[in-house]
Amino acid sequence: MANTKVAIIAANGSLFDAYKVFNVASAAAASDAEVGIFFTFEGLNLIHKEGHKNLPLPEGKEHFQEGFQKANVPSIEELVGIAQEMDVKLIACQMTMDVMSLEKEDFVEGIEVGGAASFIEYAKDANISLTF
Amino acid sequence: MEANEVLDAKGLACPMPIVKTKKAIEKLESGEVLEVQATDKGAKSDIAAWVKSGGHELLKDTEENDVLKFWIKKG
Repeated sequence: MANTKVAIIAANGSLFDAYKVFNVASAAAASDAEVGIFFTFEGLNLIHKEGHKNLPLPEGKEHFQEGFQKANVPSIEELVGIAQEMDVKLIACQMTMDVMSLEKEDFVEGIEVGGAASFIEYAKDANISLTF
Repeated sequence: MEANEVLDAKGLACPMPIVKTKKAIEKLESGEVLEVQATDKGAKSDIAAWVKSGGHELLKDTEENDVLKFWIKKG
């Protein structure tokens, strides 16, 4: 999978969305793919310094909390760390940040900030493109 | 089967067995063998796919008392 490029858009902010994004991203990075994630709108929650530690379960799905513990899945905090350790590129959407009055400092360390055009430039030769 | 290193990934859920396996195999030389132990049922197909994508070789795999074991030769 070296020479494979994966481009992911994360546009939603629940705990379920976070697992979808970071599990696929870490699995791809562990398989030697180059991975970039563009976080936009609610997706910004997934890398928000405080927010990502306490993401909400989707409404009506709160009972899955127990299942997460039982299945011993890593926390989103851990997964973000693992993704960064494996050089997954995390890009926060500038426009959403402006709308929500967020600064780069509001996010986990090591992120990049970019616009839609930077994502398109990154994704133009991606082998796998995913939207969550 | 003999292994140069043994990775205990029992009790870990997806994607951790793959992530740990990647880290463990980085420490080996080409041709050396890593034994991975996991209880995540998804590991069976995941390890096989990961081995393929990384250019390694799955020498053998077993399943005993819900523990999956894989012997991977580094490519």
